Amino acid sequence: MSPVNEPVTEFERNARVVLEESLSRIDGRTRSRLNQARHAALAAAGAPRPAWWRSLTLMPTAGAATAALLVAAVLWHRQPSGEPPVLESQHAAEDMDLLADSEALELLDGWDGPFYEWATAQTDNVESG
Amino acid sequence: MSEFATLASPYSMPAALHGDVDLTDPEAQTRSRALNQFLAGVELKAFKIAQAALRHEDDALDAVQDAMLQLVRAYADRPAEEWKPLFYRILENRIRDLQRRRTVRGRVIAWLPFRGDDDDDEPDPIAQAPSPEPQPPRRLELDQAVTALEKALGELPRRQQQAFLLRALEGLDVAETAAAMGCSQGSVKTHYFRALQALRAQLGELYV
Repeated sequence: MSPVNEPVTEFERNARVVLEESLSRIDGRTRSRLNQARHAALAAAGAPRPAWWRSLTLMPTAGAATAALLVAAVLWHRQPSGEPPVLESQHAAEDMDLLADSEALELLDGWDGPFYEWATAQTDNVESG
Repeated sequence: MSEFATLASPYSMPAALHGDVDLTDPEAQTRSRALNQFLAGVELKAFKIAQAALRHEDDALDAVQDAMLQLVRAYADRPAEEWKPLFYRILENRIRDLQRRRTVRGRVIAWLPFRGDDDDDEPDPIAQAPSPEPQPPRRLELDQAVTALEKALGELPRRQQQAFLLRALEGLDVAETAAAMGCSQGSVKTHYFRALQALRAQLGELYV
């Protein structure tokens, strides 16, 4: 015979009496809170539960938000094709470097524009001919 | 903070305690009454079981409240005979969740450099003070027996404690206890037997 199916022993009888006694010692505040919890549970049971299709009402908002996120992600990660764009600020920085470089200005003083244009034209003629 | 803090006081509750239940529906009314009666019958024992496992009054109350809610929401339509094992199964799951959460919280708090002392955990000196009224011997014996049994129960392994309380306090039979604990009937018998042995070894024959 299993231990549980044995006739209840003296110890078990006493233990049950003591456990019942421990229930009677639960204070009024705790009893009141349990009472409130019970009523709250029963009230919640009566409240209509949100139906699954109600979540569909949020679909347009969720869709718009998702689309906006996708567009933002695509724009953020889009790789430029060909040469990387040169920023205006880079041009300005180069101009400033040229102006600040006194040697470069000296080179510009001896600038022989017509010669360099003629040389370039000659090179182009040789390549095309 | 306890979720009970969010509950309305009984004085501010609506006259219709069962919220949006259609009280004109006799079937809903009957089920609501039956559930109320069932929950009223188990709430004190459930609280004791949760308190023995969690050793914290607010956590125990939260566990019982959650179990009530879950039972009413998910299993109200089941036959009333099934409510008790279902309720205790839900309660056990909730207790386990709270224990896990507490373990995690304990680990996190252990890593915090500054740990504020929670004043709420300090015992109330007035509540702790012995009553000036002399207690009759019988009452005193019972008080001592309750204290000793609760202490011994607190030292039992969780499954043994659960099997013992469901059997001895709630009065579930082996099959119901097995359903509530989510284990075989053989396991229930083993846990219960070991719990009895451990308690007897610690308490001797309880004198009441």
